[in-house]
Amino acid sequence: MLLHGLLVDLVPFTREFHEEKMHTFWNNESRWWATMGDNQPVTRAEIKRMNEERIQGHERGYTGIHFMMRARDGNIIGSAGLNWLDYWNRYGMLGSWIGEPDYWSGGHGTDALLLLAEYAFNWYDLRRLILFTMGPNIRAQRNVERCGFKLEARQRDGGYAGGEWVTSLAYGMLREEWQGRETLVEQFNLRERAEKRYGALD
Amino acid sequence: MIEGKLVDLVPFEDDYATYLESWMNEEAWFRAHLWERREPHTEDMVKKFIEKMEKNERGALIGFQAKNGDPIGCVIFDHEWSRVRKADVTVVVGDTRYEGTDEALDGLLMLLRYCFETRSLHRVDAVALTFDEVKFDMYERAGFAHEGTLRQHIRYDGDYVDIEMFGLLEDEWPGYETITEKLGLQPSGLEPKPKLEKKDDKDGAKDNDKK
Repeated sequence: MLLHGLLVDLVPFTREFHEEKMHTFWNNESRWWATMGDNQPVTRAEIKRMNEERIQGHERGYTGIHFMMRARDGNIIGSAGLNWLDYWNRYGMLGSWIGEPDYWSGGHGTDALLLLAEYAFNWYDLRRLILFTMGPNIRAQRNVERCGFKLEARQRDGGYAGGEWVTSLAYGMLREEWQGRETLVEQFNLRERAEKRYGALD
Repeated sequence: MIEGKLVDLVPFEDDYATYLESWMNEEAWFRAHLWERREPHTEDMVKKFIEKMEKNERGALIGFQAKNGDPIGCVIFDHEWSRVRKADVTVVVGDTRYEGTDEALDGLLMLLRYCFETRSLHRVDAVALTFDEVKFDMYERAGFAHEGTLRQHIRYDGDYVDIEMFGLLEDEWPGYETITEKLGLQPSGLEPKPKLEKKDDKDGAKDNDKK
């Protein structure tokens, strides 16, 4: 099971992610962006407990589907997935977390989002995708808006980050608004960006 | 019991557990729990829901009744996020005669009073199906702001309908006493429902089965 992109692949999680990378990502500044402002230090024991709970989650009805994000240089840089899948109402909620700041603003998040959206629409017969981010996360807003998401709600003081109340933004995209991965890959010059960073594509 | 102007908040037990068996199968329930599948709720499922809410550390199920003791429905706060001090609020007017009345509004106001004045929340969230004007009116009178629309978000009777999202902040909440005075709540004067027969009366239950 692999979603093959240009800058990243979305692949199954490995032990290295859960035992090493998660501890790094949950303790660096990426956490603050991914959780709308949370940043208290997290121990390995807590990470272990989170993973155990995650494994049991599916038994309790948790519907999420998650991938590990691997950059083309082989580095594990984060995760992306459907944090919630509602089969009854046919929507999915996307989430993405790049834990290595060196890979921010390079198109990796965009590549992952396009892979995920295509996967969600083509394999799960969803009608709609939603996602949430916070006001200060301009990078995420720019990224999702150009992929076709529309801002649908602004929840005032819906989050708290860096000592301030921040707006929680709800974005949505209907299936008929999805332009398709290939179109957007062209539009964003993702091939050129990938070749510039990692050399010629296979 | 926590006393309000037109309604009182009470523990969700005894008659409320019995009423919930019908309330959870009524339109008001599905409109309030708009994410849920439209499926019959059996006695067993209702019992499990009550048990789940009793164990819920991030929410509560609370009964509300008219001043004459007539059970009206339930108010729920859930998904409390302690770091951000916010929660979702829901009002289910189980006895449909009370829909759109000031008693129903007072149920919401009492829940908000609890959220802001007891739990010290900063924000509460509420949602409504796009055609549920009775709810919009109730949220508006309670001071909520409309914050957006989730497009075609919920399956409803052969279609996918929009969800309207509302929010109310602690500094917009004038306090229960002030808001109830400003709104000038009026009782609807409805007659109380006939008292329920005791559920643990096994012979009575058998007689009902025969009917």
